[in-house]
Amino acid sequence: MLETEALRKVFNGKAAVDGINLYMEKGESVGLLGPNGAGKSTTISMISSLVRPTSGDVMLHGKSTVKDPSQIRRVLGVVPQEIALYQELTAYENLIFFGRIYGLRGKVLEKKIAEVLELVGLADRQKEVVKTYSGGMQRRINMAAAMLHEPEILIMDEPTVGIDPQSRSHILETVRRLNQEKGLTVLYTSHYMEEVERLCDRVYIMDHGRIIASGAKDELKRILSGEETIWIDLDRPYPKLLSSLQMNEEIIQATETEKGVKLIVPKGARILASVFQEAEHHQVQIVNVNVQTPTLEDVFLHLTGRKLRD
Amino acid sequence: MKSVFLLQWRRLYRAPVMLVFLVLTIVFVSLLAGANSENKLTVYTFFDSALTDEGSDAWLEKLNEAELFEFREAQEEEARQAVFAGEINFAVQLMNDDYRLLVAADDPNRFLLENYVNQVFAEELRLREAEQQSSGGEIRTSVEKYMADPPLQAVTTSLEGEGSFKQEGQLQVLFGMSLFFSIYTVLFSLMNIAEEKRGGTWDRMIISPLRKWQVYLGHMTFCFIVGFAQIVLIFLFFHYVFGFDLGERYGTMAVILGCYTFAVVALGLLLMGLVKTPQQLQAVIPIVASAIAMLGGAFWPIEVVTNEIMLAVSKGMPIFYGIDALKGAALYDRGLSELLHPISMMMLFGVACMGIGINLMERR
Ligand SMILES: Nc1ncnc2c1ncn2[C@@H]1O[C@H](COP(=O)(O)OP(=O)(O)O)[C@@H](O)[C@H]1O
Ligand SMILES: [Mg+2]
Repeated sequence: MLETEALRKVFNGKAAVDGINLYMEKGESVGLLGPNGAGKSTTISMISSLVRPTSGDVMLHGKSTVKDPSQIRRVLGVVPQEIALYQELTAYENLIFFGRIYGLRGKVLEKKIAEVLELVGLADRQKEVVKTYSGGMQRRINMAAAMLHEPEILIMDEPTVGIDPQSRSHILETVRRLNQEKGLTVLYTSHYMEEVERLCDRVYIMDHGRIIASGAKDELKRILSGEETIWIDLDRPYPKLLSSLQMNEEIIQATETEKGVKLIVPKGARILASVFQEAEHHQVQIVNVNVQTPTLEDVFLHLTGRKLRD
Repeated sequence: MKSVFLLQWRRLYRAPVMLVFLVLTIVFVSLLAGANSENKLTVYTFFDSALTDEGSDAWLEKLNEAELFEFREAQEEEARQAVFAGEINFAVQLMNDDYRLLVAADDPNRFLLENYVNQVFAEELRLREAEQQSSGGEIRTSVEKYMADPPLQAVTTSLEGEGSFKQEGQLQVLFGMSLFFSIYTVLFSLMNIAEEKRGGTWDRMIISPLRKWQVYLGHMTFCFIVGFAQIVLIFLFFHYVFGFDLGERYGTMAVILGCYTFAVVALGLLLMGLVKTPQQLQAVIPIVASAIAMLGGAFWPIEVVTNEIMLAVSKGMPIFYGIDALKGAALYDRGLSELLHPISMMMLFGVACMGIGINLMERR
């Protein structure tokens, strides 16, 4: 349905997006995962015909949208990363305007507004000025404004940044329902891997303007199938233990966590005995040990050597 | 385009900050021109001890036929004090057949005063002389009768037509101030564009089926109408409430205002192309507005400027042509064909600014 071909965008001589190929089939829910500055928003801007690619193309049903954006503009709904609403107007007035620019008028518009307000659960507060809303409520109206014209494809750019857990799960649940019950095609961008894990069938992992891994969730995790993660909580931070663990040939990766250290090791390696030995040697108290199968976060860490969030 | 246009009205309704400039204009014009318009200059008048009560009353009555001055009876001491303290600029001492002026500062009106008092005295003394010689009392009445329908009349009109000095002063203030404050209204309204670009609603419009020119046009039409309406409202207010005489060329004045407002809207687009953030724009607007107004002669008539460079610079300001053309229409009854020059200069300015401005904005 939608496809990008070697999409590239250069800002001031630096490539923010560097040759992205991705595709979405009808009814799919696709995740775009990557840390801040990876180039996710820029990619979305190019897909939504807001920014002209330096090179490459975006195809909708096999037709270039760079040459003629009119088609994609009608079928695309974009929830921007920033809250793009008129703060001094009421939610209702905002929705009237964003409906009108898609050509909706009169009764049809009223009906759609009632629908999307119901969807985001703010029907009872529509006559209030947006400024007075909480961050989470603003995010929900931000999303509602992109849904008025019944888009076939919904693109969401980090729609849950900085909001309360209640609004967050409301948004996630809404997106999941739209995708599964209404068959809406969704491109969900985030740097929260647990959101992407929950919502998306297929995931692209982005870093430094490139896609570093892609596939169904399980496929991606299989990258790490030969590995497991061991969380070790210590009674206090102890850098010397960390560095000696990092020296250990058998351990793939050792990183510091809030409570202690985290190790990625080959599956089945009998590593714990030597870890306890090291702890004994450095006179550190181990308070908890937890062995886990990998998450997308671990995949990212594995591929880049960095965490998604700093 | 219409939805963008209508949206701006809704936003204005929710946050009517622009009314500030409407009110400010009215306040300024009232202070500078309106309040003064009916006031006469007060002249404290005291009498020489040789003068009888009837004599002094007669002089006072005669003098108070003046249009420009009000002669008010006062004690000598009081009058001298007031002039000395600068509370009033003139006092006059009347004697039986002569007068003395007491002038505080180098007030240009003192010549008018002197002329006037001199004329009244000369006339009266000549009449008295004639009365004495003809021994009969009828000469005064017959002269009065005669003067009511004189065989020869000298009427003074200026080359430029019938616009009086006072009217010109009033209109200078009215035109200058309303065109000046409308710059604020228009530029601050245009800031909506800059804010939308920063806030992301602009992007929302661009990725919708709306065309970019529709978005621009919607904003510009709004700014144009707000600026235009503000000036028209102020003109109407001063015409109907304070009785300012704006002549009869209403259509011509509307065209002039339209061209002027267009030029200001275009100037706003240019500014937005030049600065990066709404904050910068906010800082630049007052500077630009007052610079234009000062250089273009909104605060004082450009005729008082003698510096060649300043005069040359004023020719680059749309407000200069706006005031010039408005005065032409209101004071000297000029029509569109006679005002083609200032009108086309404003249009030229507008087209140039808009072209450069939109180009600069779109390049980013
Ligand atoms: N308009 C722009 N001008 C210059 N650089 C930009 C612009 N937009 C984004 N960038 C740069 O491109 C990179 C990718 O940004 P972005 O797409 O916003 O990343 P993400 O959304 O993944 O956090 C960043 O380094 C950012 O600084
Ligand atoms: Mg982003």
